[in-house]
Amino acid sequence: MGKIPSSFRSLTSTQLIKKPTASPPPRNSQNRITGTHDSPKPPQTTPSRNPFKSPNLSSAKSLFNSIAATSKIPLDTKFHNSVLQSYASIATVDDAVKLFHHILKSQPSFSPEPSTFNILLSHACKSPDSPLSNVHRVLNLMVNSGVEPNNVTTDIAARSLCESDRVSDAKDLVMELSEKHSPPDMFTYNYLLKQLCKFESLNAVYEFRDKMKKSFNVKPDLVSYTILIDHVCNSKNLREAMKLVSDLGADGFKPDCFVYNTIMKGFCTLSKGSEAVGVFKKMKEDGVEPDRITYNTLIFGLSKSGRVEEARKYLQTMDEAGYEPDAVAYTALMNGMCRKGASLGALSLLEEMEAKGCAPNDVTYNTLLYGLCKGRLMDKGIEFYEMMKSKGLKLESYAYATLVRALVRSGKVAEAYEVFDYAVGSKSLSDASAYATLETSLKWVKKAKEQGLAD
Amino acid sequence: MQPQRLKKAITDNPKKLGNLIDLVNLPSTLRDFLGQSQISRLGCFMRVWSYIKTNNLQDPKNKNVVNCDEKLKSILLGRQRVELVDLPSLIKLHFTKTPKSN
Repeated sequence: MGKIPSSFRSLTSTQLIKKPTASPPPRNSQNRITGTHDSPKPPQTTPSRNPFKSPNLSSAKSLFNSIAATSKIPLDTKFHNSVLQSYASIATVDDAVKLFHHILKSQPSFSPEPSTFNILLSHACKSPDSPLSNVHRVLNLMVNSGVEPNNVTTDIAARSLCESDRVSDAKDLVMELSEKHSPPDMFTYNYLLKQLCKFESLNAVYEFRDKMKKSFNVKPDLVSYTILIDHVCNSKNLREAMKLVSDLGADGFKPDCFVYNTIMKGFCTLSKGSEAVGVFKKMKEDGVEPDRITYNTLIFGLSKSGRVEEARKYLQTMDEAGYEPDAVAYTALMNGMCRKGASLGALSLLEEMEAKGCAPNDVTYNTLLYGLCKGRLMDKGIEFYEMMKSKGLKLESYAYATLVRALVRSGKVAEAYEVFDYAVGSKSLSDASAYATLETSLKWVKKAKEQGLAD
Repeated sequence: MQPQRLKKAITDNPKKLGNLIDLVNLPSTLRDFLGQSQISRLGCFMRVWSYIKTNNLQDPKNKNVVNCDEKLKSILLGRQRVELVDLPSLIKLHFTKTPKSN
């Protein structure tokens, strides 16, 4: 259950993440070290991943000196970069910068490239320091060395800061960089927008958007709008979503499949079936071809709002449109049927889907187990549970709770204990929540019995 | 959705979770049975339940009933036969009141 939104989300995010340019030389030290193997290496470097054993600056300097002195071939920038990277991974920003100066002084041939500064910058962004002084220091160093920060710099700074949960610092820094050097490209902009949505208020997000637009002429694109719409939909603010859609039109964009899917998902999670169908129709009118996600979302939404028949119809439509319904679509429909109490129908749908060669997933099984127990089809439910057990499938908490409750209610306490054992053994859920469910069910049935006896 | 609500009910209640997994100093009867001086209510339940299973104490005719041996009897109010339904509440008797008072 609820799988459609998440699969959908992953699709959106992969679309957003792709970023062909602007990657600095490989960032983790392992890569860099192996990367330098093709440029001949001084013999004394140990096989250990990081040649620097301690963050101590003077020993790092002497290690570097000894490598430089014994090396028979001229050291290139790539080598220096990897030395810095390795050292930065264990040392403070201050020491890393000092080592940089040391290399600069002792190796006249060394001319730092943007990538060199990017290593230092990313390190500075990741180290805890509140007023961003280290970051500024590296940036100054960069400018003074004649390397102008560009959009790659902005990107690295933004991502490194966000990775260390400093989203608001990232926002400030990006604004500052836009002012002084280079505004972010759309990838950075959208990445930051998404992070801001996650951690800041909507007002702050809008403020950022407006500021970027007004001062630096960086305008949201279709992806940005999709991010914003997704965000407001997730916080159930559909009115705002509609406003964003009109903004998007005013900016001269035409909603694509992603935008429609996002809005539809918003309606679906609120169980607004008619509106979801409305979006689907609008999409058709606008000539946007619905994709698999659209159908899955629609079937999910209709099932959720209890319109199982229509959902079934769309499963058909989906098939006709050339998208063979997958486990997600079937599971969404089964979920709807189970909620309506038609769990036997859902069970036959399982056969239908297997006959069509579509393999059910964990969620499918859990949904059916839930449905069977809910529909008081205890024997079928137990049979189904045994089948799941033989396949070693995990129980989701809702299916587990329903099964345990149903078992206890029909006096099969020992079986409920056995299910508890399986849930704990298969690590389906934590011991504490598995036990809490069992205990609550037992308490409840005891109370019911006592009352029944008292009557 | 249903599942989310259920999950919330259990894990979002720190007080409830706390009295399930916090370690408690045990009274002497339990200490003898478990062979340790501190355990959580959850851990205690798990130990008792696995004790029942390893010693085959469930009534072969009615699995819902446990025929206590002497050792188990000592911690379950001296009862000869205990229903599985009652097991959690019987164990809970050892874990009432504030944990620190002991």
